[in-house]
Amino acid sequence: MDHRFQINLRGVIDLLSHHLYSSPGVYVRELLQNATDAIRARQLLEPGHEGTVRVELIEKQDGGLPTLLFSDDGVGLTEEEIHRFLATIGESSKREALAEHRNDFIGQFGIGLLSCFMVCNELLVVTRSVKGDGRTMEWRGRHDGTYSVRPSEHPLERPGTQVFLLARQDTAELFTVERVRQLALHYGGLLPFPILLTAQESTARINTEGAPWRRKYESPSDRRAALLAYGREVFGSDFIDCIPLKSSAGDVEGVAFVLPFSPHYNAKQKHRVYLKNMLLSESAENLLPDWAFFVKCVVNANELRPTASRESFYENETLAKAREALGLALRRYLTELAKDDPRALQRLISLHGLSVKALALDDDEFYRLVIGWLPFETSLGMMTLVDYRRQSPTVRYVSSLDDFRQVARVAAAQSLCVVNAAYTYDTDLIEKLPRLFPDAQVEPFSAAELPQSFDELTLDEREAVFPLIKVAELALQPFQCDVEVKKFRPKEVPTLYSSDAEGAFRRDAERAREESDDLYGSMMDSVLTGAQGADRPLLTFNFLNPVVRKLAAVTDRNVMKLSVEMLYVQALLLGHRPLSAKEMALLNQGLLGLIAAHLDGGGEDSGQGGMH
Amino acid sequence: MTTQDWREQVEELLKRAARLRHGEAKVMALEEAARLADTHGDLDLAFEVRDDLIDAATFGGFPDKALVAFAWCRGQAKKNPERFESDLLLWKQKWVVGRLDDFPHISRKQIQEALDDIEQTYARVDAGKRSVLKLRYQTARDMGDEATAQQFWDQWISAPRDHLTDCLACDLDDEIDHHIDRGEYKKALEKAQPILEGRSSCAEIPHLTYGSLLYPLLKLERLEEARDYHLRGYPMISRNRDFLATVGEHLEFLALTDNLSRGLTLFEKHLGWAMDHASWRDRFSFHAAASFLLSRLVAEGRDTVSLQLPKAFALHQRQSTYAVRELHGWVETQAQEIAARFDTRNDTDRFQKLLERTRGLSRDVHPFPIDVPQG
Repeated sequence: MDHRFQINLRGVIDLLSHHLYSSPGVYVRELLQNATDAIRARQLLEPGHEGTVRVELIEKQDGGLPTLLFSDDGVGLTEEEIHRFLATIGESSKREALAEHRNDFIGQFGIGLLSCFMVCNELLVVTRSVKGDGRTMEWRGRHDGTYSVRPSEHPLERPGTQVFLLARQDTAELFTVERVRQLALHYGGLLPFPILLTAQESTARINTEGAPWRRKYESPSDRRAALLAYGREVFGSDFIDCIPLKSSAGDVEGVAFVLPFSPHYNAKQKHRVYLKNMLLSESAENLLPDWAFFVKCVVNANELRPTASRESFYENETLAKAREALGLALRRYLTELAKDDPRALQRLISLHGLSVKALALDDDEFYRLVIGWLPFETSLGMMTLVDYRRQSPTVRYVSSLDDFRQVARVAAAQSLCVVNAAYTYDTDLIEKLPRLFPDAQVEPFSAAELPQSFDELTLDEREAVFPLIKVAELALQPFQCDVEVKKFRPKEVPTLYSSDAEGAFRRDAERAREESDDLYGSMMDSVLTGAQGADRPLLTFNFLNPVVRKLAAVTDRNVMKLSVEMLYVQALLLGHRPLSAKEMALLNQGLLGLIAAHLDGGGEDSGQGGMH
Repeated sequence: MTTQDWREQVEELLKRAARLRHGEAKVMALEEAARLADTHGDLDLAFEVRDDLIDAATFGGFPDKALVAFAWCRGQAKKNPERFESDLLLWKQKWVVGRLDDFPHISRKQIQEALDDIEQTYARVDAGKRSVLKLRYQTARDMGDEATAQQFWDQWISAPRDHLTDCLACDLDDEIDHHIDRGEYKKALEKAQPILEGRSSCAEIPHLTYGSLLYPLLKLERLEEARDYHLRGYPMISRNRDFLATVGEHLEFLALTDNLSRGLTLFEKHLGWAMDHASWRDRFSFHAAASFLLSRLVAEGRDTVSLQLPKAFALHQRQSTYAVRELHGWVETQAQEIAARFDTRNDTDRFQKLLERTRGLSRDVHPFPIDVPQG
């Protein structure tokens, strides 16, 4: 007797293929999952039952569409169970119900079968249960929603289940030996029992060896070579190292591969994860602590719960414990490198410094171990904080690139070592230092503080530069810039322009105001009013510089003013400070003014001489 | 410096920026590159770099820098429409205008003009109606103009999508916020299903959604789920100051579930962001949540706590021991002062109401352990 599903089967298939499954090839996963579940269920009843999955591609002599036969020697289904899975299908039109049903054997069986309709129009299931009266039942279902259940005319000799799929014209390319082999290996490569593929009268086992990390190897170096080869096969990369992973929470085991390149900042590492030896996802993300972005891994978990979308694991206590255990394995690896193979650690830091720094921030013990190896950029070149503390008890650092550039050249000439802590995590790492090493001192430094370390003038020198200061203050008043005269090295530098971090941003806003239209220009005014900090920038003249000395002695106030303005503009440009329109005008007029002054002051001789 | 030098430097900075995740370091590298290009008068390069800078600043938690870079680009595009394709800026204008109300020093008039301006700009390319309606709805909502917000909500939600519309995940997340505002928690959760099941996501979703659903889930007594979203959501946001307001939501949740120690850890870790964040609205969210957390500690009779707070913090203690009442007083004052500034600018009482909500939160406390080891 033919029955009809109580639901719109097309709707369910549509739901499955568009929302639950990423590709039609998934039907192989689902059938393997069903077979695996059935074999496990039988193993519970008959310990020692090994179990085998057979896949056979039956090609027609006349070139007609092939049939794929999936069979297992698992528990099989009774008639009552067949009706139960059909009922399950009836309830499966809701996603939530689908997710729920996946957790029980019968429900999963039904959902798994449904996925086959993505690739075929008709399914035949022949099954004999280990329970019950030993009858063989068959269920024939069609994509239009009709089906029949009856005792089979070809009884099975042993318990188990056979599923026949007749290819469809548009899915024939999924029914080739190569595709079936690939798909079965892809999803079931780690399964601990044989998957046999039969085609063109020959049979071969697809999954020869099980998980590579479970195999025995002659030596540790064989093991390493084999695992790296496996990593290359899975991810297509030549990894620089591999790290065994194991967690009793969640019963997780696998291997992490160290990336041979620095990962892009937002490239979350996608891990390949197996659930009970069946491929769950190739893009699981939430398996490792978030500092561990230097590895990609393959793991199998037996006791973690997948999310409804089956893309990652459900965030529960077991997962948190597993993540901690896997994190510990990675940390142990890094710790051992630091202790036993510092050169390898340095190589790793050069590629994965960010990961190492992130872990050092989270983990005090690791920080102590690794801080001696982390390089920092300073005004005196690259060095570690340990090197730094050998020459100076207090670690001075700036937290912005802008500050560092302002400081670097002049600081170096004063032998002042300042760390550029503008890189990710660096400021935090430095500020952590005194918490772990109580004798260490660290101090934020700003470009605005640099002039404080310069030498003061003598009383006579003060007198000598007094006019210059007065003229300079007046000249730079419109630019809201303060003036000082001190002595500093290198003496080739006539002036130093310094401002706090907000200063550079204020200048950006001022220039944006000049460039923009009324509406956004007015908003720049608001931004400037609302901005904080607002210490005025400072132009420090260097009295060691010969030009500055000469300038201080100039009597022509106009020439002095023009020169100050030019030095101001030059200091801005040297400090990569783009000029505002007003400053640009200063530059243009100033240059002309200086030329004119030079021509005038140089006397008629040179002026006229030029005419010849 | 030779021509070659500075171009190489810019290139180096851009390369570095591309490798960095969203955050201060990335923004600084791009600002530096823009200044170099400006100094050497290379307008095209300066425009290109700022284009990246607007993205980095928007998604790295520096909305003021995004605004400044946008203002500059817009000026160039207006002056040289052929040279600088203003199409590039269309999408970014939305981000910038959407954050204007976060700055209390930007006036209501300026915000309105900016909204009218983006409407006209989009009308010229005959697109973006839906986006503008959402901006108007959200601005009115954030500024406490409920009648206007309702009016634009209705229009937004029925307007057709086009190429200037936010992605589906973002739109959905904003819809969810509307239901949460109205206390329609069940509806919010229903609508959130595609996000929660991982079918709909983008660079900021589900990060934001997990945070905003914590309170609704608590009210519905679905605490297991709330814990799950806290544990999953917090690591997504904990390294990017753009999510300061969401950090506030997690902080509030920890206080509501009586996980005060965990709450303090978040306070300790993120106070620095709240001290100098350009978005005063995000500062407010953080301080309000922190004041609730600290009020719980006061209620528990805790006098002092040990915390590593930033050196720049007004009450900074070398010994790292802080009087709970003093801390509470400080964050509460911050929240009140910011609320007053916003309410004055907006001429509404939205922020006062938000403060009242925070004060009433003690009624919702529902102890629930989060005790899961953190990875």
